[in-house]
Amino acid sequence: MPGTVASLVRPGRDLRVDFLRGLALWFIFIDHTPGNLLGLLTLRNVAFCDATEGFVLLAGYASGVAYGRMLERTGWLHAAARVTGRAFTLYVAHIFLFVAFTAQVGYSAALLDQAAYLDELALDPFGQEPYRALLEALLLRYQPAFLDILPLYIVVLLLFAFALPLLARPRLLLAGSVTLYVAARWAGLEPPSWRSTGWFFNPFAWQLLFAIGAVLARAEPGGLARRFRWSKWLAVLAALGLAGVAMLLNAVWHGAARGWEPPEWLAAWLADVDKAGLHPARLASILVLTWLIAHLLPAGARFLQGRLAAPFVLMGQQSLAVFCAGIFLSFLGRLALEASAAPPAQLLVNLVGLASLVLVGVVSAWYSGDSARRREPGPASADLPAGQGTSRP
Amino acid sequence: MRAMRRLAALLLLALALALPGRLAKAEARACGAPEEELAAAPLPGASAAIARGTLRIMVVGSASTAGGGTSGPEAVWPARMQAVLAARLAPVAVEARVFGARGTTAADHAGLLAAEAPRFRPHLVIWQLGTVEAARGLPPEEMSDTVQEAAAQLRAGRGDRTDLLLMDMQFSRFFRANANVEAYRDQLRFAAAASGAQLFSRWAIMHHWAETGRLDLERATRAERQTVVNELHDCLARALVAFILEGIQREGRIR
Repeated sequence: MPGTVASLVRPGRDLRVDFLRGLALWFIFIDHTPGNLLGLLTLRNVAFCDATEGFVLLAGYASGVAYGRMLERTGWLHAAARVTGRAFTLYVAHIFLFVAFTAQVGYSAALLDQAAYLDELALDPFGQEPYRALLEALLLRYQPAFLDILPLYIVVLLLFAFALPLLARPRLLLAGSVTLYVAARWAGLEPPSWRSTGWFFNPFAWQLLFAIGAVLARAEPGGLARRFRWSKWLAVLAALGLAGVAMLLNAVWHGAARGWEPPEWLAAWLADVDKAGLHPARLASILVLTWLIAHLLPAGARFLQGRLAAPFVLMGQQSLAVFCAGIFLSFLGRLALEASAAPPAQLLVNLVGLASLVLVGVVSAWYSGDSARRREPGPASADLPAGQGTSRP
Repeated sequence: MRAMRRLAALLLLALALALPGRLAKAEARACGAPEEELAAAPLPGASAAIARGTLRIMVVGSASTAGGGTSGPEAVWPARMQAVLAARLAPVAVEARVFGARGTTAADHAGLLAAEAPRFRPHLVIWQLGTVEAARGLPPEEMSDTVQEAAAQLRAGRGDRTDLLLMDMQFSRFFRANANVEAYRDQLRFAAAASGAQLFSRWAIMHHWAETGRLDLERATRAERQTVVNELHDCLARALVAFILEGIQREGRIR
């Protein structure tokens, strides 16, 4: 099996990006199955940021590579149409997942058969106003718990379709992106939501991370390395900072029960580090992490071509299929963990979950590789510089 | 006359402080709730009130404070807590008043606190929240801001005379699976730490009971359900009483 997986990995790209993306997809699956013990080991327990930040940044990176090239070859209109098409695919996937989610909640609720209990939880607007809920879901104004990343991705991609020409002017792109971020954070700019609950991820804030990813992808690697030069002291400082944050977060979360009372101002500040609007602390956290990894993990690291990394690299390369499958599988994982959260169930959910994700990656790579060959006979992508020809967002 | 009253107050305080021996039996009293969840910090407001002979407790919250599927008003956890605490603290008079309703949010509770606390002058506020926020997906930071503002207002009006205790959601596998509960629990921890309040983790205690099979509402058959809900509320009340008594004791030790 690992042999097969490795053979499906598209060579020549920056495998670090694919590997980390695959890892982020796995973390997202874990974080979407509450009660999963592996959830205690994901990034969100030790840092301001979590897998979502990594996922959006790397999605921006992959989009910068793929659509940047497309823009040069075929122009804005065509590239924008492709981006919009991608967004529509994501929209259809989201609606499918929404239906699956609703069915799963309904099934769990029926199984539980505890009217008074469910009533308090009020998890089911479908029971109260089915037609309205359906309409609001189609408009993305209603997003149930754990179905919030795709709507974010969809809106960010649509914004990206407009911003495409600015890829050639990275400063302008970043300036526009920062302006939108500021408007989202400090002027409260946000897409409308049903029952004014707000979006779990405000796309007008989160687009900044995507834009940074796209700009990084288009930058010349040597120039990038010169601008964000490696410095041992800075790296030590960054590592200490990250470790400090990890300790602070856990001290405030769990300190009270162990007799340590954190200062009130500190807790008040930590309480304000919001996820919806991508708080600057979260942004800084993921960027520092990115800088460290980019320097500490060389692009040609042997481990990336090894058997252990291959499944994750493959998952990262087939991110759309794996992401959607991951969300869907997390529904099943939840049903299983609802039935039992004991060690055997934990093991089963995580083994079957990861194996299924890899399998989806394998099938998707096999399938798309096949269709690509049919579309482009002869010396495929000979006109593309190595390493970027087959990147997909 | 005054000397006699002071003597009575001292006696009451001594009585409250004589609890350590009895506390050793916390295991049985709190239905086997995990010890670390009952580790309270000092409660100055409640301690001072006990020394004066009257303890007023204000409970604000959502559905579980107002019925929650029990057999009747006397079986709901605030009523049980009042009864158990009164028995434990006798002859101190314990008065508990509930201001709660189904489906109310932290913002509703903050309004109730602002309106009723100055009138009722509680020594201990037990604020149960988070369920409705998590179920509806309301912004977690807003919930935390609301708590911090309400706590500041309470402190401005009552100072050290009122202790604030936050209580989080009921544990449920169904709820855990279908709402992003952890985000709200994290935020409640922050909110408590930021406003000088304490957090009584009903979630963690009920989780323990469910995992150990001690009390598991979601595994109860339809026929057993009423009994289990009643027992659950009674056990929660007992765990809460153990928590409050520990807070009072620790305050006594500081003095």
